[in-house]
Amino acid sequence: MSQTPMLEITNLVKIYGAGKKQVTAVDNISLSVPRGSFFGLLGPNGAGKSTTIHCITGISQPTSGQILIDGVDVVAEYKTARTKVGLSPQEFNVDIFATPEQLMDYMGGYYAIPKAERVLRIEELINRFDLQAHRNVKFQKLSGGLKRRAMLGRALIHTPDLLILDEPTAGVDVEQRHDLWEYLKQLNESGKTIILTSHYLEEIQYLCNDIAVINHGRIVAEGSKAEFMKDGKSIEQRYLEIIRQDDKSATATA
Amino acid sequence: MQINWIGLYTMFRREVQRTLRVVIQTLVAPVISAALYLFIFGTVIGSKIQDFAGVPYISFVFPGVLMLSIINASFASASSALYFMRFTKGIEEVLIAPFSYLEMLVGFVGSAVTRSLMVSGLILLTGVLFGAVSLVNPLAFVFYIAAIAAIFAMLGIIVALWAESFEQLQVLNTFLITPLTYLGGVFYSITFLPDLAATITRFNPFFYFADGVRSSMIGYSEANSTLGFFIITGLVVFLAIVVTQLFKRGWKIRS
Repeated sequence: MSQTPMLEITNLVKIYGAGKKQVTAVDNISLSVPRGSFFGLLGPNGAGKSTTIHCITGISQPTSGQILIDGVDVVAEYKTARTKVGLSPQEFNVDIFATPEQLMDYMGGYYAIPKAERVLRIEELINRFDLQAHRNVKFQKLSGGLKRRAMLGRALIHTPDLLILDEPTAGVDVEQRHDLWEYLKQLNESGKTIILTSHYLEEIQYLCNDIAVINHGRIVAEGSKAEFMKDGKSIEQRYLEIIRQDDKSATATA
Repeated sequence: MQINWIGLYTMFRREVQRTLRVVIQTLVAPVISAALYLFIFGTVIGSKIQDFAGVPYISFVFPGVLMLSIINASFASASSALYFMRFTKGIEEVLIAPFSYLEMLVGFVGSAVTRSLMVSGLILLTGVLFGAVSLVNPLAFVFYIAAIAAIFAMLGIIVALWAESFEQLQVLNTFLITPLTYLGGVFYSITFLPDLAATITRFNPFFYFADGVRSSMIGYSEANSTLGFFIITGLVVFLAIVVTQLFKRGWKIRS
């Protein structure tokens, strides 16, 4: 197996706006996600998680720094880099009049998957996410949980090496959430690298083996799950300690 | 890296499906408008006018009606599709997919051109029913139709990127495209105009669009066709460069 990290971020900076309206959303982040890792990216709302993900996937342009996916630069070799990533975003960025089947079909087409292969893959994902009865229902008519499942199907249509899940279980009922966890665990065990952001910290604790915490656009803690949980603390307890400590430091510095 | 042919085909296919989803708005309405123009200008008024440029008035006016429909279909398709994608963030599907900036241009423009070709096919059929269609230079006809559709698709893309509201989406159409189209000799010959107005019309690029389509259909031209060819080709190239650069910069689509 290659030793190249699946994701390597070096000195990433993302600044929105200019002049007095300038906001630094991501402030010199460096991060390495090993191949095969289930990586939890934690942080409060507005900490810079989604912006980092947007820079990785091409939705945002980094102000400076470098992002390599499987050794491929996401700016210089963006076409190749994009074939390696699948994204299930926090917001429903879809044509609300399209059906789950169409969403997967269009996305599979965009990723240049030939029709015969695409049809098989769609069937597999429709069955996997239990969308058979809803495959031809418009996205806007689906419940929150079904929408999330359709988004996951879309993200997986091209069997990406790196799967990025930004709040994938928001609005999903408990039973479906546990079912989804098992599926994600299986995917990871089969070799897929997964980056997960979630406000459900029990989800992070159950699934992830590596964790980073972002606050105010900076990485404030990083390590293995075992390191985070030393002293018998849960991820949630450790997370709160880290964020409160960092907020206190930030206030003191200001 | 290879051209993403399947991706491009998917963009075209998606626009065709979107067009058929709102078929009354996208296909039926332009055909009814064209049929009304042909009935009023061609059949009712045209029957009182003697042949012009060696053809019945309805045949003289039909290329302009066709061009008007192509302009509207192409502009509306590109501007509404992209603006809606910005509005719903559906544009992110394209941004994260393996498309080069040039492929994005071809995908969006090709989709809009596909829709305007569907509309023009139906209007040509309507024109046949009115006995208004002739075609003296099919190659030139295809060039003018495709180039004009591409020009207005690219203008539609620029407006869709610039607009911050549905109202702004209509600004260019209301204040520029519609007046310049109607004043560009779509329904009349510039020989009907006073000298000054005829001279001013020669500075209107829409005059060359209408004249190009008309000359390819009935063989009658009032413009310098070489100049018209260069104006149209120049606009296609210029707008293609502008739109590709806007996609590359991610203006209003990439944060």
